Amino acid sequence: MSTSSFQRPLGFLALLAVATALVLAALYCVAFVARPDVTLGIVQKIFYFHVSSAIAMMLCLSSGSLLSLVDLVAPSDRVDALARSAIETGLAFAVLVLTSGPLWARKSWGAWWTWEPRLTLTLLLLLLAAAVLGIRALAPDGTGRKIAAALASLAAPVAYLIHVAVAKWGGTHPMVLQGGGIQSPGMQITFRVALLAIALFAATLWTLRFRVLRLEQRLLNLQLEFSAQDVRQQREGGPT
Amino acid sequence: MLLRLTWLLLQKDLRIALRSREVFGFMLLFALLCVVVFAFGFLREGEAAAAQVPGALWVTLLFSGTVGLLRLFTAEDEGGTLQLAQRTLAGPHPLLLSKALMQLLFSGVTTLLILPIVLVFFDAALAQPGVVLAALALGLLGQAMLGALVAALLVHVRLREVLLPLVLYPLLAPLLIAGVRATVLAQAHAPAEALNGWLGLMLAYDALVLAVAPWLHARVVEV
Repeated sequence: MSTSSFQRPLGFLALLAVATALVLAALYCVAFVARPDVTLGIVQKIFYFHVSSAIAMMLCLSSGSLLSLVDLVAPSDRVDALARSAIETGLAFAVLVLTSGPLWARKSWGAWWTWEPRLTLTLLLLLLAAAVLGIRALAPDGTGRKIAAALASLAAPVAYLIHVAVAKWGGTHPMVLQGGGIQSPGMQITFRVALLAIALFAATLWTLRFRVLRLEQRLLNLQLEFSAQDVRQQREGGPT
Repeated sequence: MLLRLTWLLLQKDLRIALRSREVFGFMLLFALLCVVVFAFGFLREGEAAAAQVPGALWVTLLFSGTVGLLRLFTAEDEGGTLQLAQRTLAGPHPLLLSKALMQLLFSGVTTLLILPIVLVFFDAALAQPGVVLAALALGLLGQAMLGALVAALLVHVRLREVLLPLVLYPLLAPLLIAGVRATVLAQAHAPAEALNGWLGLMLAYDALVLAVAPWLHARVVEV
């Protein structure tokens, strides 16, 4: 990322503005355009943000895992920052999914939590993402990056096997999107707006964290450069 | 070369283990303690329910399998031989493989000793011993390989004792779920088709870990 894009972050500000506008529009649609569900009542309105957040989480975490693999094969600071910010954003959305989900589940299933396939998978993904970020925070910088990248790339195929395992249990998750379930046009429009809003919101968070991490990397490189210069100057000055 | 070096490292570890009798004894004792604690947790009117056997067994093996894991690598590190063992003529693979085999040996022996104790404490019998043993073998294999990988990666990380289970348990989730389900079904005399699905899943998991772990280990360790 060039220096000018940090000093004049026009693209980022535009993204932020559009995302904010869309989130407000989505809130308006959820409140006034979509009618309350006939059977589930008003609590069904959680659906719009819940499902969108789940999609954002899956996209962030899977790209985080894939980018980690790329960084492991061909190390690059930029890819590392992209992967790390993706996992952080994915973790934030996992928390959103797991707080909005139980609120809905309580009303429609009668329980805050069930060991249902997608709930279990989301919970395990959250734990894995948190563990990867924890290692990243605690390990020494160079090795921590590699360890976290290795575990993050392993997490994607393992997550698939978790999915297979919990799916064999069977469950009661509503298959709204696969079943073509949304009938009312108001609900359809609301879902589309909410999906777009959350997608742009996720992109904003991702970009924001990416920029912060890139700045941290530049700061670190500058520090290294300066200390190297110091050493050189001391050598040239001769022993005192 | 790879096999010979792995065998050499394994021989060395075995000799140390036989002479010091350190880690393995504690691992076994810890497993025994786990079973006792589970029996207490599941007590109903003075009886531990036989229905809890699969869960108690698998979680005991999961927990006791983490006890000596880091020690396999920190012992090398303290002896100053870790870096040497990472730079053999066959790369870092012999180190990882020998540690995974060592762990498999430890956990295998623990399992064989702890399984009868679980059955006695929970007053149960194995309905299909062959299936349960096959599931245990698949579970321990995957757990040993992944455990060795994670321990190898974390050997120089601060708070590694805390981080190891944090990383390992969610990654082992498919194996634990499938192992418990297979054991439950075997105890209920389920038909072979129902069992094969779960055993197949464990096989796929093991294949993935065995294929990927050495590569990931080499990528992280090599400079």
